Amino acid sequence: MNTTNRALNRIVLLFIGIVFLLLGAVAVAVFVWPAAGESWTRAGDASAIWIDQASESTMIGATTLNWLTVAVLALILLLIIILLIVALSRAIGGSRSHMVFRSSGRETPLGRLTIDEGFVSDALGYSLGQRDEILFSNVTANDIRKQPVMHVSVTPRQNTSPRRVAEDVDQLVINLAALTGLDVPTLISIHSGFRAKLAHDQRRIS
Amino acid sequence: MSTPEFRRIVRRETHSPRTVAMIIAVVIVILALVYAGVEIVLHLLTQPALLLGPAAAVAWIIELPTAQPAWAVVAGGVVLALIGAVFVFLSLAPGRLPKHQMNWADRVVVVDNGVIASSLAQHLSEETGIARDSISVGVSHRRVDVTVTPRPGVPLDAERVGKLAETEMESYQLTPAVTTRVRPLRGKESDPDT
Repeated sequence: MNTTNRALNRIVLLFIGIVFLLLGAVAVAVFVWPAAGESWTRAGDASAIWIDQASESTMIGATTLNWLTVAVLALILLLIIILLIVALSRAIGGSRSHMVFRSSGRETPLGRLTIDEGFVSDALGYSLGQRDEILFSNVTANDIRKQPVMHVSVTPRQNTSPRRVAEDVDQLVINLAALTGLDVPTLISIHSGFRAKLAHDQRRIS
Repeated sequence: MSTPEFRRIVRRETHSPRTVAMIIAVVIVILALVYAGVEIVLHLLTQPALLLGPAAAVAWIIELPTAQPAWAVVAGGVVLALIGAVFVFLSLAPGRLPKHQMNWADRVVVVDNGVIASSLAQHLSEETGIARDSISVGVSHRRVDVTVTPRPGVPLDAERVGKLAETEMESYQLTPAVTTRVRPLRGKESDPDT
């Protein structure tokens, strides 16, 4: 769970897809449909004349440069920058909120006790690490619409019942809530994967 | 946490964000733009073009209907259109990941289909005595397929296996709900004792 803007991902993908689809369709259409080819050539010739005129009328002083070329280059640069920003912000996956668990916020003679995400992650991670059926665990906290949400991600050994894993994690979260005084909404995700396949099955002795 | 927020979290966990496809599409466009920019700059510096200078490129585009070889242009157009169609499809398709939600009190639990499959196979093996590697389970969005290949001479009660599988799957309380189907591999369960 992260803060990736999925709508933006899809909008960018849809826009680029439509542009590619149209370009490809036009390239095929001008070949297989003579009327489209003629229209294309006519429009192309008119555009070429316009480009020549615009280039000549926008010459910069005595140089060979013209504002039309500069504008095209600036547009290309702008598009590259926008696309890089979109791609890099998405690749990083947005910002993760570092949630602060406050036990109660009460002042005590020793001061105020503050429990942050790091403590919670370590405590849960340590408890999960003690369990033989859990191969890997990761605990993070995010803000979803300004609400703190804890994400406990676990990879159990192959053949382990997800119900049992959920029960164990649920109990740990209940224990943690008793400790911190804050029952944070929790997402438990149970994963399979390469790591689980490589590890030995859980040995069940009954 | 209110129900719409739960639903939003579950949806994010069970559907693809399309980040990889989006980055691939953006990288293709950036490469094309960088190439166009480099050709324009080389032209301005009166340097030889890498492939095709801006003037030659514009002329080629105008004369596209008569460009040669024709098959290469058509093939290029078809490939471009297909890539575009794939991107459009990916942007509109739900992108459901192989996961299910387990209804679990006031927690949100999302489980990979692979975990459900291996757990069910292990459960069936323990309950029926059939070797674990003789049971294979496939979990899809709305269906669970259990294939049992008992060793020769080992009788198979397919109905019991089906009931066990159904009971186990019901205990997981998955959303969306799944139907269970058991498929004994023919010719194995009726082999005489050896």
